[in-house]
Amino acid sequence: MADKTKSSTPNEVVNRRQFFAKLGLGSLSIAAAGTAAFAYQYLSPNVLFEPSPVVNVGKPDRYPLDSVTLDVTTGIYIIHSQEGYFSLSAVCTHLGCLTAWKPEENRIACPCHGSKFERTGVKTEGPAPKPLPWKFISINEDGDLLVDRSIDIPPLVPKSYVRV
Amino acid sequence: MADSKDFTAGVDSNAKKSPRRIVFITRRTSAQVKADTEDQMQTFPEVLFRGVVAIQVLAVVLVWISLLFNAPLEGLADPSHTPNPAKAPWYFLGLQEMLHYFPPVVAGVLAPGLVVMALIVIPYFNINIEAEGLFLKDRARRLSAFYTVAIALSIFLLAFKVYAALVPTLIMVGMMLLAAHSSPQSPSAFRRYLAARPLSYWVMTWFLFELAVLTAIGTFFRGPGWAWVWPWQGS
Amino acid sequence: MAKTGMTKTAGQYFDDLRGTRVWRSIFRSGAGSSTLHRALTIQQNVFLHLFSTKVRTRMLSFSATWYLGTLTLGTFFILVATGIPLMFYYHPSVPQAYADTKDLQFVVSSGLFLRNLHRWSAHAMVFLVFAHMFKVFYRGAYRAPREFNWVIGVILLLITLLLSYTGYLLPWDQLAYWAITVGSNIASAVPIMGNKIRFLLLGGNTVNANALLRFYVLHCMILPLTAMFFIAIHFWRIRKDGGLYSHASEPATLRAKAASGTADPKADAKEAQ
Repeated sequence: MADKTKSSTPNEVVNRRQFFAKLGLGSLSIAAAGTAAFAYQYLSPNVLFEPSPVVNVGKPDRYPLDSVTLDVTTGIYIIHSQEGYFSLSAVCTHLGCLTAWKPEENRIACPCHGSKFERTGVKTEGPAPKPLPWKFISINEDGDLLVDRSIDIPPLVPKSYVRV
Repeated sequence: MADSKDFTAGVDSNAKKSPRRIVFITRRTSAQVKADTEDQMQTFPEVLFRGVVAIQVLAVVLVWISLLFNAPLEGLADPSHTPNPAKAPWYFLGLQEMLHYFPPVVAGVLAPGLVVMALIVIPYFNINIEAEGLFLKDRARRLSAFYTVAIALSIFLLAFKVYAALVPTLIMVGMMLLAAHSSPQSPSAFRRYLAARPLSYWVMTWFLFELAVLTAIGTFFRGPGWAWVWPWQGS
Repeated sequence: MAKTGMTKTAGQYFDDLRGTRVWRSIFRSGAGSSTLHRALTIQQNVFLHLFSTKVRTRMLSFSATWYLGTLTLGTFFILVATGIPLMFYYHPSVPQAYADTKDLQFVVSSGLFLRNLHRWSAHAMVFLVFAHMFKVFYRGAYRAPREFNWVIGVILLLITLLLSYTGYLLPWDQLAYWAITVGSNIASAVPIMGNKIRFLLLGGNTVNANALLRFYVLHCMILPLTAMFFIAIHFWRIRKDGGLYSHASEPATLRAKAASGTADPKADAKEAQ
């Protein structure tokens, strides 16, 4: 029985078997692509049951000049310097431990592997690869300081401070 | 062949070695070859493609139904408030209908248990293997056994007022009587068909009939308090 | 590989791929559609070699089985494929379960579709498994040597009903709660051990958080694994018992045919079953 399964020269029209094979594979690929897209959408939650990244840290006069205050539950420092108020993340950039403020050394220190940072976030010693990031800080209508932990801002530039 | 002595034969039961099997073809015999002459097809692609297509059709139907109809969801579970009626999933409604007539031990434990046991032992009874028409052999004895069982069952159902189960039973009894008075020589094809049905067919058909009727009643004809309602009365 | 002209079709690229060393190290059978290749596709595959490489043509007939067994297996696949994603958004605790079911319907992308598909496939599976049982019975496919496979089938029927029953509770709505309350009260009707059985089933005296968790574990882990175990045995038995039942292919019929020497009209008529 002659084997008619292989195609003839490229100039000829495709035979019926090839047509249906292409049709079948084509629709299968479209279906697979669609399924993948819908699966990705399904697996990315639309609603998160997590605390909001925006933290209300109260009125500015709670923080005297040159103070460094750690808010343990939300993991941020609120620092009042000459230039104004700003906020650092308290999470060490090495492996995620919570740092602490050591006023006697004038440093923020990480207990896990000995990284130390200045109050501006700059790293002075230890294995941490990056400085502590500055977080977006603003004032709301009631006069409270708000820190949005999901937004990083450039350090040490004038617009990263809040002046009251 | 019988004279040559350039080989030895023996038995070796050494478990550590893979055995070799040797066939001796002696004089004046030949190997019997039983050829299977039935047509065969390759599993791939014949079986696999048929299966895939069947499942695809099923998937398409189910996807369409899922796009058009929503799964039910009632209010949050409230232990202090029983909905009326509180119905089991549809495949258990036949059982729940039976619970209306009989105590839970009978309807909930005994009946399902016996049904499962009966299902399991079906293939091990000879009368199911022979599959001859029920009334074509040993007619007189079988007829009297049939009458006894039919009358006893009907009286039992009547006594407990299980009309839902009684009506299908009576219909089946009627069909079996028709079969008893038919034979392979009967004029109509239907009566010839009935005459050839074995006991297993009658019991299973009765069971299927009862299952369908009881489930349908539990689904459509029972309302609050498990009272009888007509399906068009709402609820 | 014949190459006609300068361009290759997609099929030819695929065939070239199948000739590469990497492909052959995985699939071994290489390119080709000969009988040997097709047999190897089945025989060399750990999942597919549950099948035999060839089947008798009579076994493929639609009217014999209506493919009900295959369709039941298909619903099982759909249920696993929809059930596992549903588990990503479902917490089996009280009353979180109900909130999660509502979330799936209103908040999660494609959640409503998945839940619907899961529910309707479940009902379809129960219906199909009963239909399959009745079809097997009425064509006599339970007779020797297939008795034990019939028993495995009954076990699979019970597992299907249990799967459906345990899944019914998970949305934790009124329908679920009271259906399971009624069911567990029936379980307590078992003489002597009834109350103990109910206590173990619910993990307590009432249908509460323990019951939900137990039913969840049963529904998502224990029963599906048991089902897969018995499904594998069920398929294996089909093969070992001589393939799907077809009256004309049974050894007894073949012997009778050989003995009588001529075609038997009654057997040929029954062959249509």
